[in-house]
Amino acid sequence: MEFEELQKIWDLQNSQPLYTINEKALYNRIAAKKKQALHITNTSELLLIIVYIGSASFILGMNLSGQHGNIFMFLMAAWIFIIALYLLMSRIRRIKGSKRFDRSIGGDLSHAISTATYQVRLSQLMRWNMLPIGILALLGVGEGGKPAWVIVLLLIFFAFAYYAGGLEHSIYKARKRDLEILQNKLKNEASSGDDSSE
Amino acid sequence: MTENEQHHIYEKWLGQHKALIFKIVRAYAFSAMDQDDLFQEIIIQIWHSIPSFRHEASVTTWLYRISLNTAIKWTRKERKYYHADNLDNVQHILQEHSIQMDERLIWLYEEIYKLDAIDRSITLLLLDGFSYKDIAGILGITESNVGVKINRIKKYLITKSKKHYYHGI
Repeated sequence: MEFEELQKIWDLQNSQPLYTINEKALYNRIAAKKKQALHITNTSELLLIIVYIGSASFILGMNLSGQHGNIFMFLMAAWIFIIALYLLMSRIRRIKGSKRFDRSIGGDLSHAISTATYQVRLSQLMRWNMLPIGILALLGVGEGGKPAWVIVLLLIFFAFAYYAGGLEHSIYKARKRDLEILQNKLKNEASSGDDSSE
Repeated sequence: MTENEQHHIYEKWLGQHKALIFKIVRAYAFSAMDQDDLFQEIIIQIWHSIPSFRHEASVTTWLYRISLNTAIKWTRKERKYYHADNLDNVQHILQEHSIQMDERLIWLYEEIYKLDAIDRSITLLLLDGFSYKDIAGILGITESNVGVKINRIKKYLITKSKKHYYHGI
């Protein structure tokens, strides 16, 4: 067989696409993604609240038990408590809000996107939160008369944490974008299905 | 570019060039699970690529470039589902048409699948009528390199087809 004949065989598929897109399977994929998004959000949310309350209590306890109170450390403990409270309120709002999505697949997808959006916002907030905490920690350490290398080390630590926060944020953003693409795909399929049924 | 514009282009591209993506999926992914996985990966990359499309090439060439790059990268990741259990119960996003595919086309895909990832790309582009220059541009290799590879691929496919037909299939 010559190559031109192979090309003719190849062209056979141009009149009949190889596949159709199974909407139900696409829906199932969405449901799985939603479950995954919810699980990640739940875990990271709870973990953050526990870590924040724990850290604030620890800083406060250390400061109260010491001989000299450090104003910056008190401020930091208060700030961390406020953030923990904000996280707790956001969690309650998110859980309440999840009831407004209907049980359809479109609703499931919107829910997944809403969860992902929440996750993106949360990671952004946590990233920016590094700045006040970092500044207060540095001021507190400075006031405590610690050597310069401790301050430098702390600075490096916060810079790294800020960078890592950026990476985490971009992962959540990409995940949200993937869900939106899936939603577009779903709308696209639905509208082409409508067209063909006309 | 606004999100609406991007969405509009995406819908248009996907509507008009779905067959192109299917061909690449079929040539690079063996099992139905892999085909679903690769299909999703390609449509996601196409969406991301829309803002950087500058009309310097045709949409077909652009989509081939994005889809083939994605497929080649995906092949390297080795996260295939050949040995996954209980695959019969999985519902696949891509479903083959109930109309029996031409036996010769099935054979051709099988032969293409035996080639390495780059040769597979060249074969798909060649079969879809792209010039040496276009193929070189899409894959980022020299035209002379494309020429050498095409000669080898053609020889391989012709020899295989002769053997195939010799055995009365």
